[in-house]
Amino acid sequence: MRISRQLIPYLFLAPALLLLIVFNLVPTVATLVESTFILSLRSGERVFAGFANYNRIFNDPVFWKSLQVTILFSLLVNPIQIFLALCLSILINQKLPGIGIFRSIYLLPIAVSLNVTAIVWGLMLDQNSGMINGILTQWGIERQPFLHSVDQALWSIIVIASWIGVPLWSLFILAGLQNIPPPVLEAAKIDGANSWQSFTKITLPLLRRVLAFVLVADTVANFLMFAPILLLTNGGPQLSTNLIMYETYRRGFLYGDLGASSAMLSVMLVIVFIIIGVELYVLRGQD
Amino acid sequence: MNAKKLMFVALLLLLVAAPSMAQDSTTLTWLTLGWPAESIIEEFEAQNPGIEIEAEQIGFNDLFAQIQVRLGAGSAVPDIIAVDVPLVSGYALRNWLLPLDPVFTGDEVEDWLPAAVNAGSYEGALYAAPVSTSTQLLFYNKGCFDRAGLEPPGADDRLTWEEIAELAQAMTFDDDGDGTPDVWGFIWEQMVRIYQLQALPESLGGDPIGEDGLTVDGVINSPEWIEAFTYYYNMFNVWNAAPQGEEFWPPDIFETGNICMFVGGPWNIPRFAKNADLEIEWGVSRHPYFADGEPATPTGSWHIGVNANTENIDAATKFVHFISTGEGAELWWREGSGDFPAQQSVLALFATEAEFDELPMSYMRTAADEATVNPRPRAVTVGFLEYEQILQNIFQDIRNGADVEESLNLAVQRIESEMAKYR
Repeated sequence: MRISRQLIPYLFLAPALLLLIVFNLVPTVATLVESTFILSLRSGERVFAGFANYNRIFNDPVFWKSLQVTILFSLLVNPIQIFLALCLSILINQKLPGIGIFRSIYLLPIAVSLNVTAIVWGLMLDQNSGMINGILTQWGIERQPFLHSVDQALWSIIVIASWIGVPLWSLFILAGLQNIPPPVLEAAKIDGANSWQSFTKITLPLLRRVLAFVLVADTVANFLMFAPILLLTNGGPQLSTNLIMYETYRRGFLYGDLGASSAMLSVMLVIVFIIIGVELYVLRGQD
Repeated sequence: MNAKKLMFVALLLLLVAAPSMAQDSTTLTWLTLGWPAESIIEEFEAQNPGIEIEAEQIGFNDLFAQIQVRLGAGSAVPDIIAVDVPLVSGYALRNWLLPLDPVFTGDEVEDWLPAAVNAGSYEGALYAAPVSTSTQLLFYNKGCFDRAGLEPPGADDRLTWEEIAELAQAMTFDDDGDGTPDVWGFIWEQMVRIYQLQALPESLGGDPIGEDGLTVDGVINSPEWIEAFTYYYNMFNVWNAAPQGEEFWPPDIFETGNICMFVGGPWNIPRFAKNADLEIEWGVSRHPYFADGEPATPTGSWHIGVNANTENIDAATKFVHFISTGEGAELWWREGSGDFPAQQSVLALFATEAEFDELPMSYMRTAADEATVNPRPRAVTVGFLEYEQILQNIFQDIRNGADVEESLNLAVQRIESEMAKYR
């Protein structure tokens, strides 16, 4: 009976593992395989092409530009979101009268789907009739093109992504904050630590595991950012918001070039693995 | 087995059997744009009991993406699709459409405009039946001309783009003084689409694509294109006579008096003529051209095709036959598309029907004549979808202030890299 007892945990894990295999592992392997084939448009035949697709995308300036935009986007959006989420979670961790109502309000963006959020923000950011430009002109500031400007479009996408991202990740950090035993902080206070010292020496180190999770999950979520691009910018203006997920969609589904699309996805997969590896290494615990 | 169990089994059987019991009626899915489709569907269903048509009507930009994704995945649905004609070769090359030659008689084929039959064919076989074709006119609001103290053109006048630029600036009004005009001088109906904008470089002698149907380097970044799109850039960015920002549908704000002139399709003639609430006075004139160039008018047609993977070949081809020939085609012209019919027998009705004797519906005759003046179809290329979508992005960028030459060079780079797979 010993063996069957050892098997029990795996049996419990089996349903989740099965879903992971079907929805994550199989598509990943299929993508890697597809990236080595070229689909003949005329006959519909799949021809093994080795690294030809990779060769093609590595010589394609649009791919490099897209990769560059995606990395820039990640370098900006992840720190911004996590910093703001940390600030927000500290704020809502205060025991103040009425904090429950505030917590409900700041969580509202999570309850709205990203697609709806993107469309509403698109309307608000419109150059001619958008609410935000209406307010700006009231203040005597010139109308801004936002999503139609090379300099402002990516930042607009960052704002839209953070509208949902910040409250979402702050929820996780809040859970981490509430896990810190109050006596530890009280002890520090008695020992004469000011609030900055207890934040940097106690709160942050104890949040490390939560922050590692949030950082990795946020990185992945933002690498996969797709809906606002499809709905608002189509990668423009001048490819300034052409994130790699949108470029792979355009190549694979619109232009029917599954080989190049899969090759791009595979390259992105490797990059995401490397970045997550670095993140986990930096935030690794001694425990 | 007790009664409850028996009931359960009976219910299950019913659920399994129900779909097969309903199979004596066929439902076809027709993926199309938002044309008024009720009357043609009603008439077809009345004549063909047992076949039901479900129109899936979606927006212009979504249509192409949906066809690409759904037919690309080999789906049997939609059974019937609206086909924008430059995409025929791309669809045929990928074997997405059913060849339609056996469906039509020689007389029926001869009734279609030869250019439309040609455009709907690929390597000698007909893949998409012609339904309607198009041209472009200048629409203007007479009130704007009065306000600016200017004389509007007559229906047979042809203004130059240079004149349009001056008129547009004179007829842009900022009523509330907030720095943003409330009445704009000019816009193109399809402001970022090659269908309409191609006429700009073509008026100067430019070409839409290289002779091999794939090369764009040296073609869409030629001096003619740069000159044409500098004009386009100036309209939005220098003269500030046309609105930037999101894409929108100009006839909507033409009706409210917020656009003074736009170049658009003849489908606007019945729309404005039949709008009883319309407060503006409007007129049309011929499609503009560059003073140094020659008149060039956009043309293109809508076709209808059958999904090669459909499970209802007979029913689907029946509907395609109905809407593209004879009384069905006439009904579609009258109640559906509002566009020019692609059938010569229906086209002839413009000259004979009393409806077109009087203004403003007589503008349809102006349009019918304009359609014969140097009509320029879009590029013939298997990669039209990539070509059109990339240029759409590029025009949107130029409209919103991107450098013309840089943008056209970027378009060359992007289109060339997509065309590589067809070489």
